[in-house]
Amino acid sequence: MKPKEVGIRVYVAALILLVYSPIVVMIVLSFNTSGRISFPMEGLTARWYNGVPTGYEYASYISAFYDWKFWIAFRNTVYVAVTAAILTLIIVTSVAMVLRHRIIGRDPLFYLILLGFVLPGVALGLGNNILFRMMNWEFTWWTAAILDTVYAVPFGLILMMARFDPDLVLYERAASVLRASPWVVFRKVTFPLIRWEVVAAGVFGFVLAWGELIRTSFVMRGTGVISTYISTELAINPVTPKWYAVGAIVTGISIVALIILGWVLSRGQR
Amino acid sequence: MLLIPGLILSVIFLVLPLAIMVVVSLYTTAPSSTGYLPIFTVENYIAFFTSPQTSVLLFNTFSLAFIAAITCFIFGFPLAYFLTFHIKSATFKNYVITLLIVPFLIDWSIRTVAWIAILGKGGIINFSLMSLGLIKEPLEALLFSRNTLYIIWLQTYVVFMEFPIYLAMNRIDPDLISAAKVLKAPPLRVVYDIVFRLSLPGIMAGFIFVFVSTLGDFITPNLWAGGVQTLGFSISRYAANFLWPYASVLSTMLLIIALVIMYVAFKVVNIKKLFYE
Repeated sequence: MKPKEVGIRVYVAALILLVYSPIVVMIVLSFNTSGRISFPMEGLTARWYNGVPTGYEYASYISAFYDWKFWIAFRNTVYVAVTAAILTLIIVTSVAMVLRHRIIGRDPLFYLILLGFVLPGVALGLGNNILFRMMNWEFTWWTAAILDTVYAVPFGLILMMARFDPDLVLYERAASVLRASPWVVFRKVTFPLIRWEVVAAGVFGFVLAWGELIRTSFVMRGTGVISTYISTELAINPVTPKWYAVGAIVTGISIVALIILGWVLSRGQR
Repeated sequence: MLLIPGLILSVIFLVLPLAIMVVVSLYTTAPSSTGYLPIFTVENYIAFFTSPQTSVLLFNTFSLAFIAAITCFIFGFPLAYFLTFHIKSATFKNYVITLLIVPFLIDWSIRTVAWIAILGKGGIINFSLMSLGLIKEPLEALLFSRNTLYIIWLQTYVVFMEFPIYLAMNRIDPDLISAAKVLKAPPLRVVYDIVFRLSLPGIMAGFIFVFVSTLGDFITPNLWAGGVQTLGFSISRYAANFLWPYASVLSTMLLIIALVIMYVAFKVVNIKKLFYE
């Protein structure tokens, strides 16, 4: 191997190390005996995960498994993420079906969708907060799900557009020449060829909604979802390994979702 | 027909809220149940432009975002280069890309507290430096400074830079590079004249993605920048105090400046070429 090759490999490895350092250190420290976030560790314990609470602790000292507020937030997060995934999947697929043709107004439409991702999150959060209060719409988990969908659709769309098979249009035309109805064309020709991209768009919606805070913090309060719950609690409580245990649980679930995404993307590779 | 769900989403939850926000920025602040009265005034904007805080806020916000985008480019470009030209197996490529998306997907609140364990007083860096005997007292400046922010943002957003550059590099004809090498071009010229210039749309897109994401992120600077005031944080603070019109003014200004920057960037480079055509 040439020195240049070694150099770039080391560089990339260092970057991946940086990117993973918070996760690794967080998981290690979640087993710390002491209640402080610091090295050296005093000893190993699982009490931040499953210690039985006496009932008089502050939130920072209740173990993750027994913190019922966390599990409410967790349930809400699952609702938000699953809803966002389904909405993203439907919207990305329907918009992509239109955008791949050279139709009038394609560019403005593309930019309109892209805005959901490129506009500062704080502005979208504030705007939606004002809108919802003006309309007297209730702030519930589906509010967050919709905001996350606005954010996730551009990602899914970009991914799907970048991976479209150039010959897809030809196959579709062949089917419609043979008198297949548009719905049959979609079901028998288009969908089987893009189904992994469709699934990937859904997974994107799920993972982006899973940990979002900037937009969500404007439309959800208190226990809400996991991200708002933790930021609300940490504004008044000290950081203890309990929060790292919570983080390890949540991260573990994201990583499982990502492994599915990686598998899906490699399945769809042509 | 197919566009209906996408249009409903974009119009009701993207365009409408921002339009309402702009309208509210022109309303009069009043102690009513909503926090404002629908009487038009430009007082909020006058207050914005005459406030001595404004220039500081604007400078902090945009300089932080700009440097964050540059940092992400410095790290993201070689990464995309490596992915495109050094990894042959498609499956392996997909796994590396997926691995790189992970940092973005840790829960927001968790990611911010996880850095305490690395850069904090008892964090792993201070601990290692002290056990090596390089320093006697833990360094406080590791956490709570602008540099901390750049590191955290790099970890969070590098994937936004790397992915569009990767898409652009994928479209570079490998024969061009071989041709340049055959004609004995020095390696740096190959990288600059071919790889860099042909992936410019991707670089621009990545730059914009990182730039606006960091503009809209008010939580990370608030926690780790050591008291550096930014627009986003001011917006959230005014909103928390129910000063909706002034929060809307700040937010509208942020929006306008972001849109102008994006418009200019997209004029220079045809970003949609990356995604279709």
